[in-house]
Amino acid sequence: MPNVILVTGGHGLVGKAIKHVIDTEPVGSRYGRKEGETWVFATSKEADLRDEAQTKALFEKYKPTHVIHLAALVGGLFMNMKYKLSFLRDNILINSNVLHTSYETHVDKVISCLSTCVFPANIDPPLVESKIHLGPPHESNFGYAHAKRLVDIANHAYKEEHGCNFTAAIPTNIFGPYDNFDLDDSHVIPGLIHKCYLAKKNGTPFTVAGTGNPLRQFVYSYDLAKMFIWQLREYDDVEPIIFSVGENEDISIRSVAEAIVKAIGFEGEVKFDTTKADGQYRKPASNEKLLSLIKAGGDPFVFTPFDSALNDTVKWFVENYDNARTGKEKLAAAGAARA
Amino acid sequence: MSSPLQSTPVVLVTGGTGLVGYALRHVIETELVGSRYGRREGEQWVFVSSKEADLRDPEQTRRLFEKYKPTHVIHLAALVGGLYKNMKYKLSFLRDNTLINDNVLHFAHATGVSKVISCLSTCVFPDKVSYPLDETKIHLGLPHESNFGYAHAKRMVDVANHAYKDQFGSNFTAAIPTNIFGPNDNFDLEDSHVIPALIHKCFLAKRNNTPFAVSGSGKPLRQFIYSYDLAKLLIWQLREYDDVEPVILSVGEDEELSIKQVADAVVNAIGFEGEYTFDTSRADGQFRKPASNKKLLSQLHDDFAFTPFDSALHDTVRWFVDNYDHARTGNVKGKEQLRDAPIATHTKVVAMNGSH
Repeated sequence: MPNVILVTGGHGLVGKAIKHVIDTEPVGSRYGRKEGETWVFATSKEADLRDEAQTKALFEKYKPTHVIHLAALVGGLFMNMKYKLSFLRDNILINSNVLHTSYETHVDKVISCLSTCVFPANIDPPLVESKIHLGPPHESNFGYAHAKRLVDIANHAYKEEHGCNFTAAIPTNIFGPYDNFDLDDSHVIPGLIHKCYLAKKNGTPFTVAGTGNPLRQFVYSYDLAKMFIWQLREYDDVEPIIFSVGENEDISIRSVAEAIVKAIGFEGEVKFDTTKADGQYRKPASNEKLLSLIKAGGDPFVFTPFDSALNDTVKWFVENYDNARTGKEKLAAAGAARA
Repeated sequence: MSSPLQSTPVVLVTGGTGLVGYALRHVIETELVGSRYGRREGEQWVFVSSKEADLRDPEQTRRLFEKYKPTHVIHLAALVGGLYKNMKYKLSFLRDNTLINDNVLHFAHATGVSKVISCLSTCVFPDKVSYPLDETKIHLGLPHESNFGYAHAKRMVDVANHAYKDQFGSNFTAAIPTNIFGPNDNFDLEDSHVIPALIHKCFLAKRNNTPFAVSGSGKPLRQFIYSYDLAKLLIWQLREYDDVEPVILSVGEDEELSIKQVADAVVNAIGFEGEYTFDTSRADGQFRKPASNKKLLSQLHDDFAFTPFDSALHDTVRWFVDNYDHARTGNVKGKEQLRDAPIATHTKVVAMNGSH
């Protein structure tokens, strides 16, 4: 029976990247589609995964053998703080429906998506997979973090009671084409790209919040997509796995801003607004487990160099500005405003 | 979100026929109307069991709230079980409890319930933690593997309480009892907690003229709370405690008893005169896991008079002996028990969990 891989959240940052990789890597190669395999990229327009019946109908329609579960209610700081219950409950409903329907319809494997942001707020670096539950998450993503952690708990429970092959990936900060560039909600790279773009367009200064000193790890969405495909093909452990560049490959917000200025071709004034909070100086996550496993199964993983990835992302944004998620359409159908 | 337009307060107790539900009913029916732990004039108390509504089902939960229109909820219903079942059915314990709790809180919010008190347990605390346990430590690490699913689901209640409070201003809170004992407990030898198990074993030893052997050395220390005392504390929490932060409901740290002291009291209460031993080849479990009741005592402006242990144990034993034929002893088909079968065909015990 040929594989049918269902990707929930199929049109988001990571969904689009997986589609790109599947469409461009040679068929039958390590990160490519397999002969006869079907990939389905589903969105909330097709099924509201908070609803059990709609989730069942989606699975009934496509009869997936594998699921890469990326769908979630996500948002920036403001939304997370204002809608704690919605972020908690909606995500629990989505995750619970996807896992339980996968179990009931005998899906071979589910890979869900956690995030390094769900780790405990006060933990000694580096972040490693064994530390996920060792304390409460940061208050700023309370609901989202608790809901995501529950996926790892559920994976273990499904494995132990029913032998299900459910696992999870834990990406660090992701960037790439098709991101959410909405200034209210976006993460740091898309936020800076959009701001710099507007600064150039409007002839205003490009202001970066904070000192620019904090360091972060960033993974290009196309690289991340390959990791998901690797995990789908070659990783069958219930324990989740961090997807990231190396612990010592975190880069400063200042270097990110400078790379964006260069890619945009911005020639105006660049300012760092030091009245704005910096956030934690470093929160490195270890990718040792990932790299050693990939190497054990074949060629070592080759990350796209940051500047090249950033350039491509900026180019995509500039060319697709009119269609990109820049805040013109607030909150998708699974809106947080509907509590 | 609608508010029930009624002058009659209605207190809905889910898991109303379990160990704690029974105790609440006893207290409400025996304390003076209008007294600190008594029913209020005009107040209605409803004790529901899983027979009336399977709270894992949103539709049945919705209809239950529609029928009774509660203004307050004491939410005790849960899927509970002993070590064996917890280990074998990790997903069921996680998922069923998550569904029950989500449905109760969601419909309480949706129908404008003024207050919900849910029930956690000291057994959901982290396995690796500094003692004594206090309310700030619940989420500081993973729970003990032996109640994996149950513990994670219960912790999520505290998380949800905070989220509802933060987003909607809901008055949802939780109690954290330590080991509970009393009449109408689950005395099923496979599933029961330490006091009901010892009572049942000693009862059978006396009846069958066999030795009474207690597993382990008898040395570990535990705090035990009588269900009737717990019931009063829950009523106090209903009337007088409006903080989202949960509160541990327990005797003091210095009132721990050894398993041997408990077993001695059981032997005494049963009137057992046969061979009484400790099987030291069996594992003891943790020596102590004391929980602090400082927060409770500071919030209760008067001292709370806990029922003396021996007296409470005697009454519990007497109840068991008098009610043996109807008690949950696990050896009669057709009784409400969690059986070894796929979840769809389970008959559920919806009862209060006393921790181990």
